[in-house]
Amino acid sequence: MNPYVLAILLSSLGIGTTLTFASSHWLLAWMGLEISTLAIIPLMAQQHHPRAVEATTKYFLTQATAAAMILFASTTNAWTTGEWNIQEMSNPTALVLITMALALKIGLAPVHYWLPEVLQGLNLTTGLILSTWQKLAPFALIYQISPMMNPTLVITLGLASTIIGGWGGLNQTQLRKILAYSSIAHLGWMMIVMQYSPNLAILNLILYIAMTTATFLTFKNVTSTKLSTLTLTWSKTPMMTTMAMMTLLSLGGLPPLTGFMPKWLILQELTKQNLPLTASIMALAALLSLFFYLRMCYAMTLTIAPNTNNNASTWRQKSSQTTMTLSITTTLALTLLPITPAIMALTT
Amino acid sequence: MALVTNRLLCIKNSRAYLKASLYPLSNGAPPEQAHSQSYRRPGVPPENIPPWKRINLNFAKGVEGVKKHFGLLKKEMLGRFEGPEGRPLKEHILEQARVIWEFRGPESLAQWVASSDREIGGKSEAYMKMGRNNLTALLYGNLCTEVPRDGETRYSGYCSLRSKQLLGAFDRKKHHDWSNFNSLYLRIRGDGRPWMINIAAETYFSHQKDDMYNYFLFTRGGPYWQDVKIPFSKFFLSSRGRIQDSQHPLWLDKINTIGFTLGDKADGPFQLEIDFIAVCNDRAHTEEFAYEKYKRNPEV
Repeated sequence: MNPYVLAILLSSLGIGTTLTFASSHWLLAWMGLEISTLAIIPLMAQQHHPRAVEATTKYFLTQATAAAMILFASTTNAWTTGEWNIQEMSNPTALVLITMALALKIGLAPVHYWLPEVLQGLNLTTGLILSTWQKLAPFALIYQISPMMNPTLVITLGLASTIIGGWGGLNQTQLRKILAYSSIAHLGWMMIVMQYSPNLAILNLILYIAMTTATFLTFKNVTSTKLSTLTLTWSKTPMMTTMAMMTLLSLGGLPPLTGFMPKWLILQELTKQNLPLTASIMALAALLSLFFYLRMCYAMTLTIAPNTNNNASTWRQKSSQTTMTLSITTTLALTLLPITPAIMALTT
Repeated sequence: MALVTNRLLCIKNSRAYLKASLYPLSNGAPPEQAHSQSYRRPGVPPENIPPWKRINLNFAKGVEGVKKHFGLLKKEMLGRFEGPEGRPLKEHILEQARVIWEFRGPESLAQWVASSDREIGGKSEAYMKMGRNNLTALLYGNLCTEVPRDGETRYSGYCSLRSKQLLGAFDRKKHHDWSNFNSLYLRIRGDGRPWMINIAAETYFSHQKDDMYNYFLFTRGGPYWQDVKIPFSKFFLSSRGRIQDSQHPLWLDKINTIGFTLGDKADGPFQLEIDFIAVCNDRAHTEEFAYEKYKRNPEV
């Protein structure tokens, strides 16, 4: 893409999210969300392929709907209470509507249907931006309205997302769709604890971003987008194959890797809040997601499939991609569990 | 006597001509009796059958429909527990070839539609039937390049065979997912004529419903079967018959239909016998795309 255009789009993307972070008025927050949606649309469609156009269309329609719902809810609240401040939202209808709109923005179940299809049509970099950066702005808004949200709705969204994210990812063979369902499941974990300890949800989000970035960058490095080409990574970079297995298990939430930290803390918080059944269901639903992460590990690292390498020249040659981000995020994704007390002191 | 017969013939021909010109699409039959899926030529007014006329109340058919669709739904839901596409994952990873269409009985012909330029008023014919011993499908007919006299058509003479859209439970559109493979593998016996293979992917969201990926199929005329392996990287994009400038490779995860077209401007009979159509993963083929994707606004 033309570097000037790329610079404008990326900076607009950053500005949009920053605007939402910095705003306390609903209209400014909505504007920030719209700017980031519009900025990412050309990035998604730059491949000139019908599938990319399909992904862009679906993304635009869902995000525009969500933005319209946010606008409607905030104007309803302003009409009934006269308040435009994000943290002073009090009309219950408006709150429910805004929760659903933000759920649509980030792809929580039951309004998650767009996420796998959209991620499938994008290249891995744009998919990474969609999975990580685009979740920040809506989360900022959810964080601010979390004390006022309807508890039943939030728990329903959380439980449904974890379960559907787990079930849905079970039969996928395309890696981007698997990562989409993993995103849905992780967002479910974040939502469930949002009203009891929003800081834990933010911690979960940050760690999820680190782990997902590591995963996406690994897949980008070996240019594989399907489970069957993932079986060939052992011949390209054996070390990265091992690290990728650990990253995937970290996403699955296994100790002693980082991914265990948010799940542990969330389950502890839910138990403290006297919700043992919810905690049990969340833990069991996490097993479903663990199954497909394990399946990816199995195909990639634990077995050598009898497939021959179909790509032209990737036998242990140095990739031209810079691996700085990959190494940083992989380290974060694997080794942060021992400093949990420090992180807790910093965040809660 | 000859003059009278001639006159009568003239009158009969002119009546037939009049009828054909009144309903140019439907071979003389009024539109209500024409097949609902036949091609509607642009410029011809659509048949406006009111919805209440289309209702067909038939209890037995309804019961059969319910059984069929719920059966398909149950299969889809239970197949989820097996693995992707209803088969265990091991099969998916180890799979190297998959036969998609195999002509082993008359019911396999129901998945295909043979058509010719009769839709636009030409005189070619194309028929499809089972071959010998019910082991192959035979597409045969007569190609006629005589241009229909409607003042706007300039070329004519084509026949085509196209697969029907895959439908799931309750007639939902389903797609073929061939992302695990990279070549098309056919076993055919032609008559030396050059055919064209058209693959149509899902175009609902890209608003380009005439987008199609084509490649050539050259047949040998002999009595021997011909195994044709065409990698998907060779397929080029065309729309309404015009090859597009900006090409992109065919994405294999949402394929709708495959078709074969004959339009080689040679009048006469033609035959194509197909044994099976399969997709395979040719491990030795490493090409990603055979053509250059022209970059618009190249950096200088």
